[in-house]
Formats: sequence, C-alpha cells, structure tokens
Amino acid sequence: VSDELVWAYGVVPARAALSVHATGVAGGAVDAVTDGELTLVVSQVPREQFDAEPLRANLNDLDWLERVAREHEAVLDEVLADTSVVPLRLCTIFDDAGGARRMLDRERDTLARALAHLDGRQEWGVKLLVDGDRLAATAAPAGDQAHGEGGAAYLARRRDERHAREVARTLAVQIVDDVDTSLRAHAVDAVRLRAQNRELSGYTGDMLLNGAYLVDDGEVDALHVTAGALQDRYDDYGAELVVTGPWPPYNFAAGEAAAQPA
Amino acid sequence: MDPGRLPTRSSSPLPGRPERGDTLADILERVLDKGIVIAGDIQINLLDIELLTIKLRLVIASVDKAREMGIDWWEGDSTLQSLDGGDGDKRLERENRDLRERLERLERQVGTTGE
Repeated sequence: VSDELVWAYGVVPARAALSVHATGVAGGAVDAVTDGELTLVVSQVPREQFDAEPLRANLNDLDWLERVAREHEAVLDEVLADTSVVPLRLCTIFDDAGGARRMLDRERDTLARALAHLDGRQEWGVKLLVDGDRLAATAAPAGDQAHGEGGAAYLARRRDERHAREVARTLAVQIVDDVDTSLRAHAVDAVRLRAQNRELSGYTGDMLLNGAYLVDDGEVDALHVTAGALQDRYDDYGAELVVTGPWPPYNFAAGEAAAQPA
Repeated sequence: MDPGRLPTRSSSPLPGRPERGDTLADILERVLDKGIVIAGDIQINLLDIELLTIKLRLVIASVDKAREMGIDWWEGDSTLQSLDGGDGDKRLERENRDLRERLERLERQVGTTGE
C-alpha cells in the first residue's frame, strides 16, 4: 500500500494548457491525469491524513478544514484562469492514478456535458447586506412616532413600531427582488444560497441575499455595472453589495439541473 | 475563528468601495455543499461532512437577524413567502430543534464528542 493518495480538484478539457504554480492540498505538487478528452487535475496527499479513518476526524477540525478548503480553492482558481473547469466537491480521493483514470472513463458523459455547459461562462457571487436599523429608520422615521405618557400614547407607540416593522419588511423584500432580478438579467443561470453565518463570514449587516450567477464572458462587465448602479440606488438604506468572483463554477457544475427555478 | 485573517482573493471592486476578500463562509459553502459529486476510492462517510454542515447551519439559524425581518428564503424557499407574522420564527425553532436532534444522533453514530 502506497503512502500517498490522489486528491482530485476538478476536470478540464484534455486540450487545455495548464500552468498551476500553487502547491496543492497538504503541499503536494499539482499534476494531471488524462483519459481521452478529459483531464483530472490532481496532487498527492499523505494517506496518514486522508485515508477514510483520519479524514473523518480531520473534517471535524475547522482549522484543518479551512486550510484544505483554501488549498483546494487556490488550485482551482489558477486552473480557472486557463480554462473551463468542473470543480469537484472537497475530498474526492483516489487510491492511485489508475483509479482516477477509471473514474474519468466511467463519468465521461456527465463530465463532458458539464464542461460544455460551463464553456465561456463564469460564476460570480453577489451578496446584499443591509444595516437593519438604518433600513427601519429610513422606512419609518422616528419623528413620526407618538409621544407622551399614559396608556393611549403607549398603545400608539406600539402600533407605530409594529407599522415600522411591517414597512421595513416590505421594503427589504422589494430591495431583494430588485437586486436579484436585475442581476439575473445578465445571467444564464442563477441560484440563491443560504445566508452566511456571521462568525464565518465576518459581516455585521443582515445578509438579505446571497446569490450565485452564471454569466457569459461577454456579459461580465455589464453585471458589474448593474451591481454598481444597485449599490448607488440603495446606499441610503445602509445597503452594501459585495461582488466576488470569478469562482470555479461550483454552483453550476451539475449542469442545467443544478439551477433552481427563478 | 478569527474573521480578521480570512480574505485572500480580491473581490471585484465597485467604484468607491473597499475591496473585500472571500470569506471562509464563501469557500466552505461552495467546496462542501456544491461542486460535482463523484465517488472516489476513499469512501468518506458523508455523515461526517453532514455533521459539520449541520453545525454551520445551526449557527446561521441562531444568530441571523435577517430572520427577524422575515427573510428566510434560504430555508429552501426562493420566493420570500413567509413574510407575514411570526410563523417564520416558529419554523425556525422547529428546524433548530430538528437539527439539534439530528446532530446528536450523528455525533453518537460517528463517535465524536461534539463541541
């Protein structure tokens, strides 16, 4: 039994010229395994960390997981600069190059279809964060609220607060819809992801939208212009649009079926 | 977890905006939850990944103030339906309870002690 296993990053067309300088997961050199029209980007990883048993423990260690996830992502980012890529989920691991080649043969049709779907397209992420307090204040200025003491004034204030929450809620929905619809106009495919938790994301605002958009190469500039315009439109509400990308197209790798209906 | 050391890649600069990098959340939500799934030779028990993602989801569910505003489409609904009243909170409580129970079951199965 070899001390090394083969870690897989993603699948690219065999004709693509790759130049990856990043070191792979756990320091391995990035290599390629080719079968027919498809190439699997791989590197060797030590069995002592990545065999099923130790892997199980490691995956639940967030620092280990972060390191490996970033290494996996760094290699795919470089590959993405050279060619279309079908990114594989973390921890796709083979015993040896032979196992990797057999997988390429077995999954040939699925992978070729995915590559064709992604050719000439880019995944971009756009998050919409708002300052909830500012949104509420803009929706229902404090000056409108009832003043004074006594039961009637108290009830009036409660009513005003309830009203302000309703207004803010409606406004939030309108903003999310406007932003998402405007961005989708540039995309061939789009998904809404779950809002991210604050501890991992570091954002303090309320994440109202976490979208991923698959965009034709020629439409990327227009997407950015639209994002800039949306930012200006909602500045006063404490809104912030965060655009990231291009990403390896994780959210669209499974082809058309990956998309949720708009 | 120190959010301060997270950014690596530059995100696209909007005019007049500071650049921000990808956060750990950006990366994990993609490499763990997305990407094409292909069986490798090393059979990782998917329970193990699930254990971790459930933990991540619990944190999201318990802290996200957006939910107070009724924004909860990421629970599988893309149409922002449940915006009227406190039903979202009840659903959240229920889901949190379900997730905790699943988490405990999974932790017993894989023999970890949790946090």
